[in-house]
Amino acid sequence: MQAPGQLKAAHSFTRSSSLLAWSVLADSAMEHYRGSFTNPAMTLPLASSLCALMAGIHSSGDSRPRRHVVRHAIYWSAAGIGIAGTAFHCYNIGKRPGGWCWNNLFYAAPIGAPMALLLSGVFGDVAERMREKPAVQPRLLGLPAWQSTALLCAAGLLGTAGEVGLLHLRGSFQHRAMYAPVLLAPAAATLLIHAAAVRRKPHWAARIALLAAQWLGVIGVLFHARGVARSQGGWRNWSQNLLSGPPLPAPPSLTALAMAGIAALRLEKAES
Amino acid sequence: MKARYPGYNVLDKRGTVSWDDVTREVIKQRMAPPSESRFLDPLAWQTLQAVCESVMPQSPEAAQIPVAAMLDERLRTNAGDGYRDMRLPPLRQAWRIGLAALNEESIATFRQPYYSLAAPQRHLLLERMQRGELVHPAWHGLPSDIFFSNRVLKDICAIYYSHPYAWNQIGFGGPANPRGYVRMYFDRRDPWEAAEAKPGHEVRARRGKHRVR
Amino acid sequence: MREFEHDDDVDFAIVGTGAGGGTLACRLSELGFRVVAFDAGAWWRPLEEFASDESHQKKLFWTDERLCDGETPLVLGTNNSGKAIGGSTVHFAMVSLRFRPEWFKSRSLLGYGADWPLDWREMWHYYTQVEQALKISGPLKYPWGPKRPRYPYREHELNAAAWVLARGAEALGIDWTSTPLATVSAPRGHSPPCVYRGFCVSGCATNAKQSALVTWIPRAVAAGAEIRDLAMVTRIAVGNNDRVTGLEYIREGQRQFQRARHVVVAGYAIETPRLLLLSATSRFPDGLGNSSGLLGKNLMVQSNQAVWGVMPEEIRAYKGPPSLAITEHWNYTDIGKDFFGGYSYMSQGPLPIVWAGALNRRGLWGQALLDEMQHYNHQVGLKIVGETLPQERNRVTLADEKDANGLPIARVTYSFCDNDKRLIRHALDFMGRALDAAGVGDIWEETNDTCHLNGTARMGDDPRCSVVDGDCRSWDIPNLWICDGSVFPTVGGVNPSLTIQAIALRTADRIAALAGRGELDRRPQKKMS
Repeated sequence: MQAPGQLKAAHSFTRSSSLLAWSVLADSAMEHYRGSFTNPAMTLPLASSLCALMAGIHSSGDSRPRRHVVRHAIYWSAAGIGIAGTAFHCYNIGKRPGGWCWNNLFYAAPIGAPMALLLSGVFGDVAERMREKPAVQPRLLGLPAWQSTALLCAAGLLGTAGEVGLLHLRGSFQHRAMYAPVLLAPAAATLLIHAAAVRRKPHWAARIALLAAQWLGVIGVLFHARGVARSQGGWRNWSQNLLSGPPLPAPPSLTALAMAGIAALRLEKAES
Repeated sequence: MKARYPGYNVLDKRGTVSWDDVTREVIKQRMAPPSESRFLDPLAWQTLQAVCESVMPQSPEAAQIPVAAMLDERLRTNAGDGYRDMRLPPLRQAWRIGLAALNEESIATFRQPYYSLAAPQRHLLLERMQRGELVHPAWHGLPSDIFFSNRVLKDICAIYYSHPYAWNQIGFGGPANPRGYVRMYFDRRDPWEAAEAKPGHEVRARRGKHRVR
Repeated sequence: MREFEHDDDVDFAIVGTGAGGGTLACRLSELGFRVVAFDAGAWWRPLEEFASDESHQKKLFWTDERLCDGETPLVLGTNNSGKAIGGSTVHFAMVSLRFRPEWFKSRSLLGYGADWPLDWREMWHYYTQVEQALKISGPLKYPWGPKRPRYPYREHELNAAAWVLARGAEALGIDWTSTPLATVSAPRGHSPPCVYRGFCVSGCATNAKQSALVTWIPRAVAAGAEIRDLAMVTRIAVGNNDRVTGLEYIREGQRQFQRARHVVVAGYAIETPRLLLLSATSRFPDGLGNSSGLLGKNLMVQSNQAVWGVMPEEIRAYKGPPSLAITEHWNYTDIGKDFFGGYSYMSQGPLPIVWAGALNRRGLWGQALLDEMQHYNHQVGLKIVGETLPQERNRVTLADEKDANGLPIARVTYSFCDNDKRLIRHALDFMGRALDAAGVGDIWEETNDTCHLNGTARMGDDPRCSVVDGDCRSWDIPNLWICDGSVFPTVGGVNPSLTIQAIALRTADRIAALAGRGELDRRPQKKMS
């Protein structure tokens, strides 16, 4: 019999995966529309994230204790497309005049963005695997599952911090709140790594940091919406400001990662 | 000549966020200039119209840019540039002398007033003006080449390219406030910019115009 | 806004509110002085009153008549003369560059022109202040010159025209960078980030541009200065003690007089000498502050020649600020030159009327012009801001012709010297190679454009060879000051606005220091050593 805790954790990771997929869907739709879909491959992340999103919805209504082959394949392909996208974005920057100059890092294809699709795939994969794990002390990637997922989240948080840092640097940190995700995400990642390394301790600090990061992702959308409103023409000029203003779909990926981190810690609690 | 931006009309954007109220008003006024002369005398006016036709020829089928009327209006308001080559008299005087002198040159060379010349002959006289070869006493010492470059070309072409119809011909985006532009790289175009007809792709460009919004 | 009476003996009456006057009005009022600043132009509200239109926005230019002669008669009115609160900064291209340090001592170190009475390290300090005040958007690392602090805002996204400059520079193996610009790349107060509408030199309708109108003037008003717009100053009055007592001006058709303890002239390189020449008295028959005889002389434009061509790709250079990329290579390299001085070159984004004008100067009209204009969205070019040498024959004098107020208009005499021509030749050749290397075809040269005006009231260490001292104070009349581009002894190969503003900040600090020492009203006698 599958312990309800395992299924609950699986559903948590699915939710993270789905939220990330939604974020990628919206973000890549907007950014690749901005890029005029000059390369047909630019539709791939849209299709892939849409599939991942649908797989997530399907998964949430599925309480069977085994993985679903199609869903699992979708998550794997999402992860693959995420990696390919990163490679493609790097190639794209490299071939522009100026190469790896700041202007291209700021304004050309964002190198960090496709990683969100990779993470969506990975969390989906984790969720699928969790369904088949034994009730007691499930293991993943050679480690207790809660540890490996916590480390994954921490890596994702660090990557996100890097990308947010780059883009908020582009925005000259003109508002103090722009420092928040750049400081909070690495802090949460550090505490999560610490929690995963120092076992069987109350992880309240990591939990608080993750909760804060989770809400910051929500507040971030509001800040970004305000940024769009502050741009010339405000929301009336949406056809420009949604594309060149602060990206609305970006902050939820922080929420998704924090949720996954919390799910990892909950997994540990369920174990102990 | 095939249009390079088929179907593109910058005025289609008048109601969009690419135009603000001030600009709408300014362009509205520009589109409705008086159709006849209010400043120049009849002969100078006819000469000016003939000069404008040569300097900025317009296809008879196309909607006309009233260059001569707009220039006449500028002369009426005496709107200066902020400087003047010392060899030139002030704006109004320069145009009066120049147009009268051109007519005298035409009569001296072709025994006809300038406005009644055929296009090639008009063109010929303007070319000679450009080279500074016109020295009839009617010029009153005004060097014809300086008049040609500093008044004829400068004033007429600036007026022509201040008109939305001219922007349509060259695919200029036109007014842009509050909405400016998003796509800045090579070969990138915002949906509200003119689509260019690449050879063989005219139909696609024409379809593109519907996206100018 | 605080308003002063005509009989109020204000501390400073400033003529002009651009990069020099606007900045100085702000800082002097913030330092506690009572300031009235006059401008002949209007106080525009860009959000409500600026159209997206080249032709309509001529209202920002100084369109009163001036006469131009010499071997290369200048073109004025558009790219170098403003008439508005905020002066030419309302329609400048926002290019905000520092001088090369050696230029402040170009006579001693580089062998041409004249030395400035200023130290580059001190100027470096004031440059930083201006860059902070205008929130300049610039590159994280500037390739040339001594270390400078990080620009407050990040560089803007480059347009295709700027990438062509980058391609060319990389192909020829020289450095390039995104241009430090006075338009914000992120929100700042009431300024939204730049939307790349491309009408910068016709006036920014969004207030993203950090002009004097948007930055210094509101600060000045907040600090208690009065800004008097549509007020054409016609004469500076001098009392029996050879001190200025105030100024005469015309506003709403009325001749009026404002008393002032000090007068600062900041009308730029043509109107500044014109006003001082118009103010001549029997005691100062050659104009105020002209004991050196140099007032109006040494007018320096900057050469503004370009190389243009056509790309197979769409460029659409009308998008974004006109000069997004720059190379200062030939400002900082002294080898391989057959001329004195330097030049920078930048990418370009001419709007249709300006572009048609360039093609007119190439001799095109009729069908040939219409055909060439068809390439508008594919044309791309590089344009220099080139240093010219100071020459006494290049000067501003009073013409016989009178303006609407019955005052003699300015006559501007200008000729390039051989050195200027060699610099231009070098630049055109180099930029032609750069365009060619970037894949541009049908390359041609625009050989006869000029921009910024400087000189005509140079600063210096010696009263015999300069009009003002390093504090911008007249050698002859201790309560008369000149604070704008006129005081430049040399121009360098960069746009002057940042330097003018840095000088104004320094002058404000110097005035405060002199006031603290009780030396503001009289010049201390030099001790004989």
